[in-house]
This record gives sequence, C-alpha cells and structure tokens, in this order.
Amino acid sequence: MTKILEQSVIKEKLYWQRIEPGLEVFVLPKKGYNKKYATYSANFGSIDSHFIVEGEKRELQVPDGVAHFLEHKLFEDEEGNAFDRFAVLGASSNAFTNFTNTTYLFAATDNFTQCLELLLDFVQNPYFTDESVEKEKGIIGQEIRMYEDNPQWRLFFNLLGALYQKHPVRIDIAGTVESISKINKEVLYQCYRTFYHPSNMAIFVVGDVDAEQVLAQIENNIHKHNYQPLGEIKRLLPQEPAEIAQEYIEQTLVVSEPLLNIGFKEQDLGYDGEKLFRREIATNLMLDIVFGPSSKLYNELYEEGLIDDEFDAGYVAEIDYSHSIIGGETADPERLYDRLVAGIKRAQAEGISQAEFAHYQRKAMGEFLKSFNSLEFVANSYPAYHFKNINFFDYLQVLQELTHDDVNQRLQEHLKLDYMARSVIWPKS
Amino acid sequence: MAIFKHQRLENGINVYIHPTAKFKTILVQLIFHRQLCENEVTQSALLPAVLQRGTNTYPTRQKLAWRLEELYGTELMSEVFKKGERQLICFTLDLVHDQYLPEENRLLRKGLEILNELLTNPLLEGDTFKADYVRQEKEQHEKVIKGLINDKIAYSIERCLQSMCADEPFSVFKYGSLEQLAKVDASSLYQFYQTFLQETPVELHIVGDLNVAETFALVQSIFTYRRGSEKQVPPTIVDVQRREVRYVRDEMDVSQGKLVLGYRTGLHYGDNDYAALLMYNGILGTFPHSKLFQNVREKASLAYYAYSRLEKHKGLMIISAGIETSNYERTLDIINQQVLDMKKGAFSQADVDNTRSGLRNQFLVEEDHPGALINRAVDGILAERVYDTETLLARLNAVTRDDIVRVAEKIDLDTVYFLTKGGA
Repeated sequence: MTKILEQSVIKEKLYWQRIEPGLEVFVLPKKGYNKKYATYSANFGSIDSHFIVEGEKRELQVPDGVAHFLEHKLFEDEEGNAFDRFAVLGASSNAFTNFTNTTYLFAATDNFTQCLELLLDFVQNPYFTDESVEKEKGIIGQEIRMYEDNPQWRLFFNLLGALYQKHPVRIDIAGTVESISKINKEVLYQCYRTFYHPSNMAIFVVGDVDAEQVLAQIENNIHKHNYQPLGEIKRLLPQEPAEIAQEYIEQTLVVSEPLLNIGFKEQDLGYDGEKLFRREIATNLMLDIVFGPSSKLYNELYEEGLIDDEFDAGYVAEIDYSHSIIGGETADPERLYDRLVAGIKRAQAEGISQAEFAHYQRKAMGEFLKSFNSLEFVANSYPAYHFKNINFFDYLQVLQELTHDDVNQRLQEHLKLDYMARSVIWPKS
Repeated sequence: MAIFKHQRLENGINVYIHPTAKFKTILVQLIFHRQLCENEVTQSALLPAVLQRGTNTYPTRQKLAWRLEELYGTELMSEVFKKGERQLICFTLDLVHDQYLPEENRLLRKGLEILNELLTNPLLEGDTFKADYVRQEKEQHEKVIKGLINDKIAYSIERCLQSMCADEPFSVFKYGSLEQLAKVDASSLYQFYQTFLQETPVELHIVGDLNVAETFALVQSIFTYRRGSEKQVPPTIVDVQRREVRYVRDEMDVSQGKLVLGYRTGLHYGDNDYAALLMYNGILGTFPHSKLFQNVREKASLAYYAYSRLEKHKGLMIISAGIETSNYERTLDIINQQVLDMKKGAFSQADVDNTRSGLRNQFLVEEDHPGALINRAVDGILAERVYDTETLLARLNAVTRDDIVRVAEKIDLDTVYFLTKGGA
C-alpha cells in the first residue's frame, strides 16, 4: 500500500511503499525538472566487514575495502557492463560507497522507464569473475593512491584512527592496496548474498515522474525474482571503548600550509530514529553557534590569521559511532589548538542564549529549504537516514521542537576534552 | 524556451533575469569582466575579500555574517574564474524564495541591498580601506595563491596550461602572483577599487520564480551607483601557431603521478564547429563509454580517472590521468593512440550515438541547476552567440561523422606535462 507523506512547508509530497520481501521505495515527484534521478541503496558500507553469512553459522571477516570493491564490480555482467547500457540510453550512471551504505544511481532525461529497469536489473544480478576482479585491483589501487595525495582526506582518516580504537570506521573506505589484493570473487558473492537482499535495501526516485507507475514498475521487477525472506543480518562490530585511541596524530605531505582537525568522540550511542535525529540536529546547531562564521571565536581566529573561510565544524550521527570534526588549514596548528580549547571552555562557561539559539534555528531552516534544489542531495540523503529509522522530511519539525536547553546540553556533554583527539598535517620542507 | 530577459540599467549594468518556477531559491550573480592582465589580476582577485570584511552598515565580518544568517541563511560569496583570456570576479547571493517563508516577503530586496552595500559602501579609515582588513586579506590571499599545490590534480593541469601558453595572457593565474600581491596596500587597493567600479563591464544575473518587470524595477532602484566609461575586454586569441610537442616534468614527493596533455583545438564556443568539437571530446574522453575511460582504465587498468576536457573560449583541450609513475610511457602511448584513432575516424556509430545522447542529457540537466543556467548564459554572451537548449540540441543533431573527423584533424598536441615522484 502506498503512503503519501506531505510536507507543507517545503511543498513536497513523498510516495512511500514497502514492496515484499521488504524493499522500501520512495518517489518524490518534482514537476518541471528535466532530470530524473534514481538511487538504489544497500545498507552495507565499509564498516560491515565482520558478519555471519546468511544461512551459515560461521563468522566471516572480509578484507578492508570489500563494500567499495563490490560497488565497482556490480556494474559488470556476462555480456558487458551497465555503464555502457546507460550510455546507449543517454543516461549517466554512477555509484558511491561510504561507511554505512552503498548506492547505485542514474540520472536521465529520456528513457526513464528503461533506465529504471536497467538499474533494478544490474543491482540484482551479480556477475563476478576471477579475471575481472583482478583487473579492478589496478583501478582501485590508483583510486587509493589518489587519496593518499589528498591532504584533507588523510587529515580526516588519521583523526578517525585517533578517535576509535577498534571500530572499523577508523579504516579507509576503499581499504589499502594490500587489503584489496586479498579480495576474490567468492568474498564478493558472500557479501552480496548477505547484504543485497531487498529487505536490506531502499530505492529513491525523484523527478517529473508518475509515482504510481514507478512504484508498479519496481514491484513487478522485484517480484520476478521470487525472493525468499532473509534471516537476520548479524553484523559483528567490535566493542568500542569509550576512550579515544590516541590524543595526537601527525603526518607530513606536500602542502602549502599545515592542517588541523580536532574531533570529539560521542559517548551517547546505541539508538536510532527521531531521538538520534534530534541529537544530530542539536549538535550541528551547537557547533554552528560556537564555531560558525558569525561566532565570536571564529572571528577572533580569523582576524588573528589562524583560520581561513574554509574553517568548518560538523557532526556525524550514526547508531554505533558518532563524532564531530572541527578545523581546517592553519598557519599554526599548535596555537589554533590552544585557542580552540580555550574557546570551547569559554563557550561552555557562557552558555548559549535563547536569542542566539532562535537565530541559528532560523538559519538552519533556510539552509534545509535551499538544499531541496538539489535532486541528488535529497535522493542521496533520504535512504541513508531511512536506514537509521529516520524520516529525513521530519527535519523542520524536529528543528522547531528543539529548545535552547537541548543545544546547551550538547555543548556541555559532547565537547568533552577527555574525548578529544587531534590530527595535524605538516608541510614537507 | 526563452533563456533570459535582458535590460541595461541607466548606469550600464547589464541585467539578465531567468524566470523559472522550478527552484525553491533565487540565485543572484554579479559578474565583473576583466582582461587577464598580469598587473591587475591580483588586485581584482583580492578586492572581493576586502569588501566582504566590512561596510558602513555592517562594519565587521561578524556583523555581516549575522545579518545574512538572519535572512534565513542567505549565502553571500565571491569567486574568481577564468574564461578564455578573461578574469571573472563573481559575487553570488543564494537565498530562499519568499513563498516558502510564511513571515517573509522581501528577502530578494534585502539580499540585493546587502550586495549593493558591499560594493558601494565599504568601511573606510580616512580616505582608504581599513589597513587591518587589507593586511589580513593579503595574508589570506597569499595562502590562496600558494594553496594551488594542495590539490595535485588542479596543480598539474594549471602547470600544463601555464607552460603551454607561457607567452600568452592565458598563462596568467586567475588569483594573481605573490610579487604583485606584495605591492598592494590599503591606499593602492582603494584607488584600484574606484577605477574597478567605474570601468569594469558588469552583469547581474537572477534566476528564480520572478516577475520580470518587478525584478528589473527592483534592481534599477537598488544599483544606482555611478559608473564611467567601460574598459572593454579584448577578445581571446584562439588561433596560435602550432609547434613541436614539448615535454615538461615536475618532481614532487607524491604517491601518484599526474599526466596532463595540452592540445590546441583552434575552436571556441562561438564557432560553427563547436558542436562537432563537443562530439569529438565526448567520444574521446568525457563519458564512461569514451575511448580514454575504456582504454586507459577499463582495458589497461592504468588509472582510476582518465578524461578529456575543453577550455571552450581559448580553444584548448586537456587530457588528465592519475597513474603509477612507472606507467608513464605506456599510458602516453595509449592516449596518443586514442587521439590518432579519432583523426582516422576509427570510432563506431555506437560511439557517436551514445555521445550525442549523453551530451543531450547534459544540456537538458543544465536547466535544472540555476548556476548552470547562468554559466551557459555567460558563455553565450562572451562568444556573442547565445544558445537556448533547443538550438544547442539541433546543432548537436546536425553533427556528422565527417564533421567530427574534420575537427579531429585540427587538434594538435602541444605539451605533455608529468608530475612525478622525486624529491625527498
């Protein structure tokens, strides 16, 4: 049965249907847009590297980077690859893997029905051979090398490695040249069988489409496959201690200026849904108030020449790990670090006023509305939140229900110096 | 479909309004057009940052940021672009349309007033800009210039183009140079600013759910500052003498080598053969079905990315790939073979068809992005040939295999640049 979720402020209507055996499908009609954009996501990311294979008893520890590797290989089939078939239809296709999800997508202006059928078919038909798996190692090896030269990326993963002792979020999404060398087609099939079942996946379609037709087409396609219900997916995540792994990590690279990130490791974990969404929004609001472009601290640091306008603070909220990351390029990472610590203590002593809170709430509302221009943003975000039992369209409502006490509480509880790590990139002299 | 409505204000600002009900936002871009001139680009690239530091109404960065946030997180930013031998200084205002804000009915007006304030009412100290602001922004700008090296892909492309066009204005870096920056002070920059406002041709583009007449009237009532006679930007030199291929190499302590090849196409956006050039470039290297992706990446596993890209006003094409440094010769051979195959007409009907529909998809998708609409309008204004989507599609459909081969024959390799491992 189709449900219709209406959001009156953003003037959007979302169609939602659960297709047996458990695929969640969302359609957002956008009148007047030329582009039709569809994503097909699996709740399977780089952190899902230790689990029990569907129908078996034994635990499986797969090489780092396997979710991303699978994403690359799923485009291939017996006769060729899906990229080429989308090209014939005049559409562009792509895919991405992050810590928690893998998403396949296309953007088309013509031939939408055929493109959607193609997306459904290629994601449901794995075809891996020894030869094509070997060939991909060279390509992904170069992808890894490219990121090794990316200072922001290195800064970020070094920090995650300092914040987390055991949790696989500390490991690079693509793995390493060494870890991917151990990937073979059997491993890919095992992961596919475990995680690419409709009940662990979601589809989001956005554009000038007829929602009922889209839903019917997806239902027909899925039913052709005669899926059996999937047993519970047993993900085996290590017990992550509350404490950080190390206080400080550094690396040298060819850069014009040092970079500093500090990170705070969340202590309040283990739940999903609206409660998690509220924590995410409240924490991001708090970070914007303390570190954003109109904050006292930001402007002091800017005038001292310690930060530039790329300086940023953001929070990531997942069910079993969460953290905030603050920083950017700086002439003097040690002085900036001291100033940030002092700034946090000052903000905690002063607290956030009702007026400040209301101001940033209004700003966040405008930013959310603006983000709806991008079909890609909506279609990429919605399923990721859905896997956390969050309805992304509730954003404005949750934002309105927040109080300045919530934000003050996050300021005291989240920005705890005991759970802070820092990462520095130094220029090679 | 009409692309935009144009009107010239009394003071000579060209206003382009793109009415569309599609978006939840209104996008405003104020674009100044300057010649790429070594002695001036640094000051014009630095200027927007100083203007954003403070005005008489909003004397600090913090007060300006606070005001923009009050306007539902309106974004105001400045960027510098290079199109052909032209430096574009662009101020962008991105705001929510009133219809989504129950308590608001004048957000565009408020936004435009801030933009005008920024431009015409800077905070002064005596007769010049505030010295502290200029000093701090010079430091920030120094980091921007030096920061090119942080993105190794962008760095290698810039190095290739600079080396290739060393004797042409195109080689001037859009952010300017440290040498020129050192000469700037509050007083000289303020003088430059006054001339800048007077003489620089400027366009204001607005995209959104707008009443055209009302919006023109609104803009006319806000942007009333006095301007002088405009300094026209000379045309970009596209037709350049071809020469023997040159090889340039930089060593750096990197994990991955960056191979960049620079070509002369001799064709620019306004040419009759531009659509054929797009087809050429598409078959060669912009899509996953293109020759570069297929042969460098899929068949030889040499790279994660390998693509070609046009500089549409200067008549250049670059090919870029990230590879193991030991695979330099092999990759170069494969790339050269692909370019040669294009000249020989060694591409299939499927290559032609897929590229045509891929480009059609790109043109149509541009209409879904306010920024892409403006960008296309600017390209058209620069080339003095403004195309709407239907015309673009018709021109694309008219391209034949012979047209593509004819274009291929005009394209010559000029410079092979390699950023390779070395150093410490």
